[in-house]
Amino acid sequence: MKRFLLKPLLTFALALTACAPMTTTPVAPSPESGPASVQPVTLTVIMEQVPDYDIVAELTKEFEAKYPSINIEFEAMPYDAMRDKLLTSFLASKATYDVIIVDNPWMDEFAKAGFLLPLDDYIAKETGYDFEDFVGPLREIGRVEGKIYGIPYYNYALGLIVRQDLFDDPDYQAKFKAKHGEALQIPTTLEGYLKVAKFFKEQGIHGIAMQPQRGYKVFEEWKNWLYAAGGNLLDEQGNVIIDNAAAQKALELYITAYREAAPPSSLNWGFDESLRAVAAGEAATMISYNWMLPTLNKPDGPAGNLAGKFALYEVPGGKAVLGAWHWAIPKNTASADAAWTFIAWLTSKETDKQRVIKGGAPIRISVMKDPEVWQKGFGQQYYETVLKILEDAEPLARGTRAEEIINEVGTFLNSAVAGSMSVNDALKAAAEKTREIINRP
Amino acid sequence: MHIAFRYRLLLPLITALLLIVGYPLGFSFWVSLQDYRLTAIEGATWIGIEHYIALLRNNSFWTALRNTLVFVATAVSLELLLGLSLAMLLHRRTTLGRNFFRSILLTPMFITPIAVGLMFRFLLNSQLGVITKLTEAIGLRIDWFSAQNALLTLALIDVWQWTPFMLLLLLAGLEALPEEPFEAARVDGASAWQSFWHLTLPMLRPTLLAAIVIRMLDAFKVYEYVYAITRGGPGESTETIQYHIYRVGFLYYRLGEASAMAYVLIAVILVLVVTLFYSLRRA
Repeated sequence: MKRFLLKPLLTFALALTACAPMTTTPVAPSPESGPASVQPVTLTVIMEQVPDYDIVAELTKEFEAKYPSINIEFEAMPYDAMRDKLLTSFLASKATYDVIIVDNPWMDEFAKAGFLLPLDDYIAKETGYDFEDFVGPLREIGRVEGKIYGIPYYNYALGLIVRQDLFDDPDYQAKFKAKHGEALQIPTTLEGYLKVAKFFKEQGIHGIAMQPQRGYKVFEEWKNWLYAAGGNLLDEQGNVIIDNAAAQKALELYITAYREAAPPSSLNWGFDESLRAVAAGEAATMISYNWMLPTLNKPDGPAGNLAGKFALYEVPGGKAVLGAWHWAIPKNTASADAAWTFIAWLTSKETDKQRVIKGGAPIRISVMKDPEVWQKGFGQQYYETVLKILEDAEPLARGTRAEEIINEVGTFLNSAVAGSMSVNDALKAAAEKTREIINRP
Repeated sequence: MHIAFRYRLLLPLITALLLIVGYPLGFSFWVSLQDYRLTAIEGATWIGIEHYIALLRNNSFWTALRNTLVFVATAVSLELLLGLSLAMLLHRRTTLGRNFFRSILLTPMFITPIAVGLMFRFLLNSQLGVITKLTEAIGLRIDWFSAQNALLTLALIDVWQWTPFMLLLLLAGLEALPEEPFEAARVDGASAWQSFWHLTLPMLRPTLLAAIVIRMLDAFKVYEYVYAITRGGPGESTETIQYHIYRVGFLYYRLGEASAMAYVLIAVILVLVVTLFYSLRRA
């Protein structure tokens, strides 16, 4: 029976292969042989459809001019489509994507499942690459069990974005001083943040445009509060500590902020809504991705007349949640060497500088300290703040089940904000669930 | 010989059904009996009905199932009520501009559900939403996506989009009814309500049954509104079963567990459909 089926299937498969265009030949330049290769290679690159992708696509024209034998084809798609597509490509006998980008909660999972190629040898052989120039915490996300699987592509660390004009307003300053006996300043602690946020609410403008949407969003935002209160998801030994006193304090303050300083009925708000609220002048602050600042300050951007009035600071407490995308090479690609050539070129100091000048989110220290970047980009203060944020940032979650932990803990947090669970119960349940997920065989 | 030929004619269809329905069903059942994770397919081991036993203790799964049943019951009954009323109105020859309304009323059906979800996410937004502003103007302050209201809100969005479908089916059913019994009833002096209750409804029963079953099966698949608007929140209050299965299977890659959930869902739907079929047929 098996043979009976096998023969027509094989014939069918062969016929399909015969129909396929013969454009790609899996031969590419190796690090030893250099870029000079005779046979052309086409690399398919999966990307998320975001502004950073447009910059990379534009820069890639220079790469193709420099390496005529390597042709790059991008497949850009929304975030939610990527995980499925990546997995399908990993499981196929031949990869659909030769170069991929990996979100930080997926890094350990993909690397430990054996889907990614270690890049240590490539990095070692790349002259003048200076891997140590990538900001430490970003570099570390790409390292799994001592091996490097990912090269930073762009960061999405969180920062505090404020309406500077409101903080500088003499009238508000006087009122704040009269009420609290201190100057109206950018908050550096959770208590200070709550005080400022409530003050703005009393003045008729929402203090914080929060993002308590269930799952990823609430976890991403609240974890900054958790860091500020001195807590974390796991301690250094890997024990779950999300139900300790620090976490209780962080969640209580977060809920107070939601009830007393955020726009009412914003329980399902995510990134889009809070950005719109701030851009429309309805909220004084938000905790969001650091690179939202240039977007908000762009004269033809979403903020309209308010453009130029926003400023970026470190989140209260200093330590921020770090998100990052990394470049990686799937193990099942036939064009690993060419893939590395592309990644190495794109993330080299020279190209990365161009990328950041064009508005890409920075990843290299040297680029963030480069006066030319300050001048052609968004100014010295912005890059210095971003560097400070990145140096003191920790990933959202690590481990092979980070995605699940983020979503499950995010469900309990959202329940607590909604008032359907008490702070204590929600954190206990979150801790229990995290333990269950981590200990599952 | 004749019989054999008859069955031979059925063979292509049976083969096609086996391939496109039988194989995935069989395979997913086999997957549900294994510790099948997409990140470790080679390490998948046979665990029998362990996933099914674990489901008994899985609160999130039962919450999602309960939410889905509430959603389906609310949405389909409202759609039936509205759809039938509209169909009766549009069926009357005296209704003004009925051809115009027929086409206008069908439009929500042609929008892709994910777009409908995104539309309502902003229409009902507490700060930026038009609907919120309008209800506030008449003194109603509704938090559409609070823990208490969110599931009902999603059901109402479903009603907005799918009542036209109910209307379409029921209108076709009404138009296919014979005139004579109604004329006879009128001669006998039956009131409008009497002829609706004793004639229209009983004669429309097959259409009603088909419309309810089709809409019910469709409503069980609700995913887009949840995905676009609430992501299952607040808490788990709008976590529907399809969204839950999607999360476990494709976000966490635990396909074995997700398949077991899908099988339990099939069982629940089968029981519901069979019960509905028998009760409506017997009546």
